[in-house]
Amino acid sequence: MKKEVIVRVFDIVGGPLCVSAEDGQIIYEKIAPLIRQGHKIVVSFDRVETIISAFLNAAIGQLYGEFTEEQIRASISVRDMTNIDLSLLKRVVDNAKVYFKNKPSFDQAWKEELGDEE
Amino acid sequence: MIYYLPTIHSHHDGFESMANLASESKELLFDKLEIDFSRCRFFDANMAAPLAAVIAGVADNLNSIEIVNISTSIERILRKNRFLENYGYTALEDTNRTTIPFQRLQLSDGGRFEDYIQYHLKGKGIPDMSEGLGRIFKQSIFEVFQNVVIHSGSRLGVFVCGQFYPNLQRLDLTLADGGVGMRTNVRNYLKQNVSSVEAIRWALMQGHTTKTGSQPGGVGLTFLKEFITSNEGKIQIVSRQGFYEFQSGKEEVFKMESDYPGTVVNLEINTADTKTYRLMPEISPEDIF
Repeated sequence: MKKEVIVRVFDIVGGPLCVSAEDGQIIYEKIAPLIRQGHKIVVSFDRVETIISAFLNAAIGQLYGEFTEEQIRASISVRDMTNIDLSLLKRVVDNAKVYFKNKPSFDQAWKEELGDEE
Repeated sequence: MIYYLPTIHSHHDGFESMANLASESKELLFDKLEIDFSRCRFFDANMAAPLAAVIAGVADNLNSIEIVNISTSIERILRKNRFLENYGYTALEDTNRTTIPFQRLQLSDGGRFEDYIQYHLKGKGIPDMSEGLGRIFKQSIFEVFQNVVIHSGSRLGVFVCGQFYPNLQRLDLTLADGGVGMRTNVRNYLKQNVSSVEAIRWALMQGHTTKTGSQPGGVGLTFLKEFITSNEGKIQIVSRQGFYEFQSGKEEVFKMESDYPGTVVNLEINTADTKTYRLMPEISPEDIF
């Protein structure tokens, strides 16, 4: 395993609010290459005040689409999170595991909604 | 055309009136909509958000809008929360600090929404509202906003407004959009013609999301519902012809008579709640992945 890297969410997002999928994507793009390179990653939420599920889905949930649970467990740890945020992250992670196991193929034709009636 | 707006509360009837206004004015083009408040005895201030979303749709059809015959007491409320500023009324200072003013934002205005919430939520219900509760409430509001950004496709933007009722120890915050409604997204995803009510119920279930890309979803609304349960608050969702309300462990759903042109989410929290934050189960960072 290579050097341990700390990903400081506050510094990357530029403030205490982690409230968009867009910002989550930025964090994902920092973390994913580090896993591929075999680093150990500590994601620090120090000074972060508010985190929502869409942010965590993008930043961390998305990793389960590319890496195995074992790879993720061996590479990532989190710190400086409140109990509320840990609980939300746990849900996001559990949900992501199921999401990628059951993900249907949407390459098939997309059927547009027909009509306006209920 | 003249539309006589009845009394508007954050209840099923109030939302039905908003949807009715939208249906009645649907065909209006290059014309004028006069909203007559003479039959309106009370107006819950946070309901300015869904009203504004409907009016924005009417204005988008190049109609002029006028608000007339408004009683002094309702006028005060709607000048304090700045809703009436767009219709020729000056704003009044909110001396009691109970208002979360009306604001219209574009979906790309995430940063402005963050500033708005950070600034206006301060002091509302505090010191009654504990710091922990304030945090979860803020989290819930951002969950809703992000849902609007991801799913609504609202060309008209998002409309937000709130009101603190100190005597009731309740804080309402309402977000409305002029988007496609939950029904369209769920229909496209399931490839079934589900009703608006079915679409709302479907979206509220754990793990259900209409997202199909690399980012999972389906956690936000479940989180919201659990928070509201623990807080003994209320959540109302109106989307197209669907009305959903969850309060005190009870769900109420109706098919609305008229079609609301988008989605509204109203969160009402009990600001006196001190237990929600404390009751969260202890989770170790070691047990996450």
